Amino acid sequence: MKQVIKGNYAVSQGVKLCRVEVISAYPITPQTTIVEDLSEICARGEIDAKFIKVESEHSAMAAVAGSSSAGVRSFTATSGQGLLLMHEVLHWAAGARLPIVLANVNRAIGPGWNIWADQSDSLSQRDTGWVQIYCESNQEVLDSVIMAYRLAEKILLPVMLTYDAFFLSHTSEIVDIPEIEQVDTFLPPYNPEFKLDVDNPRMFGGMTGPDYYYEERYIIHKDALETLELYPKVCEEFKEKFSREYDICEEYQTDDAELIVVTAGTITSVTRIALDKLHEQGKKVGLMKIRMFRPLPVERWCKVLGNAAKVVVIDRNLTAGLGGVFANEIQAALYPLQNRPVIFPVIAGLGGRDVTPEDVENIINYALKNDQPTDIPLFWGLKE
Amino acid sequence: MTVKKRSDLAKTYDFKSWRDFTPMNTSLGTMLHNLTGSWRFIKPVYEDKVPACQNACPAGNDIEGWVRLLQEGKYDKAYWYLKREQPFPAILGRICFKFCEAACNRAVLDDCIGINELERFVGDQVALSTPHPDLPEYNGKGLAVIGSGPAGMSAAYYARLLGFKITIFEALPVMGGVLRVGIPNYRLPRDVVASEFEGLKNMGIELRPETAVGKDITLDELRNEYDYIFLATGVHTSMKLKLEGEDQSHQIMSGLGMLKKVALGEEIDPGKKVAVIGGGNTAIDAARTAIRLGSDVTVIYRRSESEMPAHPEEVEEAREEGVDFRFLAAPEKIELNDDGTIRNLVCCEMELGPPDESGRRRPIKKEGMLFDVKTDSIVTAIGEIPLFDYLNEIVRTENRTVAINECLEVDAKADDKARIFAGGDIIDMPHTVAHAVASGKRAAIAMDCDRKNVDFADTLKKIVIGDGPAISFSKYMGWDPVNPVSYNNHVVVDSKKIVYDYFSKALKLQKKIQGPDVRITSFKPFTSTLTLEDAQQEAARCIHCGRCTECDNCLIFCPDMSVLFKGNGQFGYTFDYDYCKGCGICFTECPRNSITMIEEESPVEED
Repeated sequence: MKQVIKGNYAVSQGVKLCRVEVISAYPITPQTTIVEDLSEICARGEIDAKFIKVESEHSAMAAVAGSSSAGVRSFTATSGQGLLLMHEVLHWAAGARLPIVLANVNRAIGPGWNIWADQSDSLSQRDTGWVQIYCESNQEVLDSVIMAYRLAEKILLPVMLTYDAFFLSHTSEIVDIPEIEQVDTFLPPYNPEFKLDVDNPRMFGGMTGPDYYYEERYIIHKDALETLELYPKVCEEFKEKFSREYDICEEYQTDDAELIVVTAGTITSVTRIALDKLHEQGKKVGLMKIRMFRPLPVERWCKVLGNAAKVVVIDRNLTAGLGGVFANEIQAALYPLQNRPVIFPVIAGLGGRDVTPEDVENIINYALKNDQPTDIPLFWGLKE
Repeated sequence: MTVKKRSDLAKTYDFKSWRDFTPMNTSLGTMLHNLTGSWRFIKPVYEDKVPACQNACPAGNDIEGWVRLLQEGKYDKAYWYLKREQPFPAILGRICFKFCEAACNRAVLDDCIGINELERFVGDQVALSTPHPDLPEYNGKGLAVIGSGPAGMSAAYYARLLGFKITIFEALPVMGGVLRVGIPNYRLPRDVVASEFEGLKNMGIELRPETAVGKDITLDELRNEYDYIFLATGVHTSMKLKLEGEDQSHQIMSGLGMLKKVALGEEIDPGKKVAVIGGGNTAIDAARTAIRLGSDVTVIYRRSESEMPAHPEEVEEAREEGVDFRFLAAPEKIELNDDGTIRNLVCCEMELGPPDESGRRRPIKKEGMLFDVKTDSIVTAIGEIPLFDYLNEIVRTENRTVAINECLEVDAKADDKARIFAGGDIIDMPHTVAHAVASGKRAAIAMDCDRKNVDFADTLKKIVIGDGPAISFSKYMGWDPVNPVSYNNHVVVDSKKIVYDYFSKALKLQKKIQGPDVRITSFKPFTSTLTLEDAQQEAARCIHCGRCTECDNCLIFCPDMSVLFKGNGQFGYTFDYDYCKGCGICFTECPRNSITMIEEESPVEED
């Protein structure tokens, strides 16, 4: 059934469709309305789930780590500072192989206190071992929740979905909400081999010395890489059931593109508009939208970007002293290629500053005009 | 606890390749062999304790027990359960001074439970004339109870449950003592008292009204005839003002005398204006009686209101009914007309000096500050004393009380005649009905111990409730507590350990009472027994301090899954000490302090 809903409700509807059994979260703008809606859904008995109120995000994450250890499908959501407070338990959840799904509304990190879109929060958690998926639209958000559980429970790794504050979280779009029975055919109940069981207690996360810790980490890495094989299959099955297509990354007009723009999140939509205008002018420019960022789809990126002469990476994030995280990772990913494209790293839209189609058009024109980037990175729209 | 060697149970795996690993960091086998209980040095135990209300009750009424039965809608059961420790709920439910409510832990949250009104409700659930359903055979011993007030009634009730054959002697033509001729009908209706005596009679207790010991029969005669005697003759003589002319006017009467006359239906005419001297309950009862007889009443009390021994609720109701109070004043002189009528009551203004032996500030005359009170009659109520003539010097008395020991046995010369015990207002004890009932229970148990040749002091140690001095008849009889779990009748609930966060506020039911204009038109009671709905609502406010209610908090919070249901429909939980680490979370989160942490006797053995 099609409804006009905000991004946050796309999440809560997705969680409901997945028959999540434990939800624990702590309110933080702009995520709050997700858990607000979920708590009401629980209170109305529309979902057979336990909603655990907690006093912080650290506790929220710890609570779902606990419930997931007990073999129960679990969900949490947060944003910005809240995600940072979860940091310790994020590592634990991945290390313990708990298939938790977390929705993170990308919000800038303070100070200055800022509740607007910026991807620095989730990108600073890239080494926690979580699978990360970046979303562009409310439909994609809802569908990604459903696919996230399917992936997580198969590979036993937690999945973090992210999408931009306000541009998606508080903006209404048409979303096709599937029937729960249909979702049931896609997402079987979670029934792990190992779980907390009072009748047959096992030790979880116990002391693991130098003898075995190393192998354990290797297994996590190996399984994470397997995700890159698995996720396209999950997307394929999803397409069969729901007729909507997703992939590990999305390409737009890349086939004979001389220049490819790389984006993640809502800047992608803006870029599509700019590209259409540039195509009318006969310019051969394409787009690669990052969806999965961890594990890093190195091969796929090389395949998409390897034939372009230039790659523009627009980062709505900043790692101070280096530049944008996506640009940096793309540079590393493409390094083994013989004929590497010239990379134009651009920082834009930090802290929710608007990035318009004209901005993207101008950025592309700048890259087309120059053989090499003038600034690494280029701070687009900086008040000089 | 069972201590197994870990080495026998634990299996060791040696992984040669990463391919042998499970994806999750987990043991391959069970960890049941890891008896984490061995880490414990303190352990929780379930231990129901004495709630604050029961501890405060002079009679040791197990309030929480019958409130729970009330909540469960088991009204008959509640009635009989209540009577285990306090046999007259219909009486005390109307007139008790509510020591329990003053101690109620619920007050920390909002207000105490309306225990007194609930007790009245329970008392009205069963016909008072119904005899105890489980009476024992007579034990062959006879008991003479002298005096049919609350102490005598209580001693008779409990002694009958212990198998004694009992006769109650009463000097007046009506049974009940102070309950019948002291406390006015509007506070305690006559038919309630009469029905209680029906009940006692139906239990096989012989009632002998109009038989004054010392006049119609002597104490010595009783001593020859019975094995035990319980003295409960109460205090029925008002103290004198010690003023000239006091005995020369028919318009000067004692408060007790006046109440008794009204109670026995005799005509009295106190006149238009009445001055009541005194500040105790008798003074208030007399004042409110005079108001009902149509007089204007002034109570004259030598100290200030805060020192009054009368119950504040009674004082407030008297004030509503139009009783005037003149504090810090004492009668100095009575001036009589030749016909014996009162010309003038001269009073002196008083002030408060340093505290006296009662702890209250001593009233001191303000020299020369005299004033006149115009009154038609004077009612004296400055204290009551017993008459001990009938004791015939067989029993030692001191300071207007009968000297007693811990068993309430009097100091009398040892011979082979009946052993004598005493209770109620004639022993050194606060003069309340609750205390009187307590003394009757204590004496009955003491007599039974004597009969069985069991040491009372030893017994007392076992059956004392909380801080004492109340003792438990249930415990003496070995009856099960309301919760079939370990009940420690010696430990009072620690109010600091009650977790009020688990209880939501609910205001106490407002007492339903008629307006003063209606009240003063008759001697009819002006309050009614709670409706079933109201009683349920009020009972639901009880937080059951010290008593497990199977709220599951311990079960939910135990991080070691070491709180287990007993199962098979049994009440409560058990601890699995094989795995309980003694963290104390159950103890901390128990809302009502029914878990106790105790130190392990010795470190648990380890291999």
